[in-house]
Amino acid sequence: MPWWTRPLVRFAAAIALPLLIPALITIILWALPGSPAEIICPREICGSGTDELEVHFHLNEGPLAFYTHWLGNAVQFDFGTSWRVAAGMRVSEMLASALPATVQLILISMTLVMGASALATAGLLPRQLDPLWQAIGLLPAVILALICAAYVTITYGAVSFDGWPGTLRLLFGGLVLGVADGTLGSAIQGTRSIFEEEVKQRYVGIAVLRGESVLSNTLPNVMPALAGQLRGRVLHMLSGSVIVEVVLGIDGLGQLVWDGTLKQDFGLVLAAAWAYALISSALLALQATIEIATAWYVRRSPAIPEAA
Amino acid sequence: MNARTSRILWGSIAVLMLGILLGLAATAPDRLPGMDASLRAVGPGEVFPFGTDRDGRSLLVYAQQGARIVALPSILAGLIVAAFATLAGLSRCAGIGWLDSLLQAFQELVGALPRLVVVMVVTMLLPYDWRTLLPIALTWAVLAAPAAMDEAAATAGRLGGARFVEALRAHGFTAGRIYLYHVTLLNLRAVIARQAAEVMMQVVFLEIALSYLAEAGREASFTHTADTKSWASLLYEGYTWLVASLPLAHAMFLGLALVGCVVLATQAFRLAARAR
Repeated sequence: MPWWTRPLVRFAAAIALPLLIPALITIILWALPGSPAEIICPREICGSGTDELEVHFHLNEGPLAFYTHWLGNAVQFDFGTSWRVAAGMRVSEMLASALPATVQLILISMTLVMGASALATAGLLPRQLDPLWQAIGLLPAVILALICAAYVTITYGAVSFDGWPGTLRLLFGGLVLGVADGTLGSAIQGTRSIFEEEVKQRYVGIAVLRGESVLSNTLPNVMPALAGQLRGRVLHMLSGSVIVEVVLGIDGLGQLVWDGTLKQDFGLVLAAAWAYALISSALLALQATIEIATAWYVRRSPAIPEAA
Repeated sequence: MNARTSRILWGSIAVLMLGILLGLAATAPDRLPGMDASLRAVGPGEVFPFGTDRDGRSLLVYAQQGARIVALPSILAGLIVAAFATLAGLSRCAGIGWLDSLLQAFQELVGALPRLVVVMVVTMLLPYDWRTLLPIALTWAVLAAPAAMDEAAATAGRLGGARFVEALRAHGFTAGRIYLYHVTLLNLRAVIARQAAEVMMQVVFLEIALSYLAEAGREASFTHTADTKSWASLLYEGYTWLVASLPLAHAMFLGLALVGCVVLATQAFRLAARAR
């Protein structure tokens, strides 16, 4: 398989993903028995709102009309207004105000995970601590988040969301995402084992004898594997952020998805899911770019002086 | 302790834990018993074996009903992941190029979806009377499959892939023996069992998380009916002990013990199935 096949597949997947999410939803809606509008919000809950919903989302015009209308608006970031979570408010504004909290949460947890992985690879984090990270990682995110939420509630009160308690909730959220469900343990072991395997290669030994550093020789070769791990972890954290944000009361994208699902706010959930798909696409494209850049760097021929 | 004894020991623990889960599920009452004001929030010493909740109901019913909610969906989810992983491993060994490429495209696309978000969307789209853990668990299993497939295919690749199969064919073994015994049972077993057990555990944790969030928001759960209690209810009762000092520490400890049993079962499956 040529080296460019994998990055190409990733770029294709990055383009397909934002088209796939609404397509999947359309397929599910029309595959289930009953009218799509009734599935989204049954008449006994929404009353006449079900008919409005049907017209608003072009559900009465068939699956293709629904898909093309929704996607056509989505590419202009026009998701309409919230149906039930914050009736009348523009969904794009709700997403824009929720996104920073989720990004901060992911950045905090990524800093923790990448910092610990770098320390472990450099030999500054004792290997003897590995069982500890693994043991902590056995705990599900919901339980760790509950412990953190209990601490904040007991210390600062149940409605402490601003100032330092708000920041503390964010820090705890990042910590939980970073260590729960085996994230930290597998990141440390994964990164360390990738480097350890690479260091055993013959070319590294020769490079050391030439006076070159181990890192500058191994890093280009392990970059694709590290990029893949990085994408997997960010995706895992994005998924876990739904639980962490709800338990710790952080107003992020995950909280929006949860509220929208509970209240059957179809437009909001669909838009939030699409936002997640865009983030995932960006990660795929980033991984493909890193793979291409690394391949070019590694394959670059050294300049050989012409024979006299 | 040699490796064989260790595997037998861990296998016994795994079977025991699974037996406890299925036993609890099989004996679960359909509905919650009535409230008893005289037995509110009493400990295991007064009401055997786990004490009562704030309404005087035995926490044993919580454990039983919670086990019934998760037992079948989690086992089915584990089996689905095992099937996907086996398919990916066998495909790599069989050397069928188009199938391998197709599976890789599936892994790339499905693996790029944030699982919990997709689960939320599926949950929202399900008709109200279909809202149980089963469709959620099956969705989760499909979304978790790419990781298992990737690892199984990599293991098969390290084994030698199609060359390994050719070598065994040269020994005169039949295709059934090669793929089922040599490839799957002897070499892919550890990966398949571990991934399946982990997904079973994830489904249980997912149920706990979804039910807890719904209960905390005083909303109906996506995973079970209102007249049954999930293990999340134990944690919710226990949380009131943490933040409001209600005498319900025993509920928290029972909830954590059940979570611990699930973790132990997963680890036991992993260790019992590890490669020689």
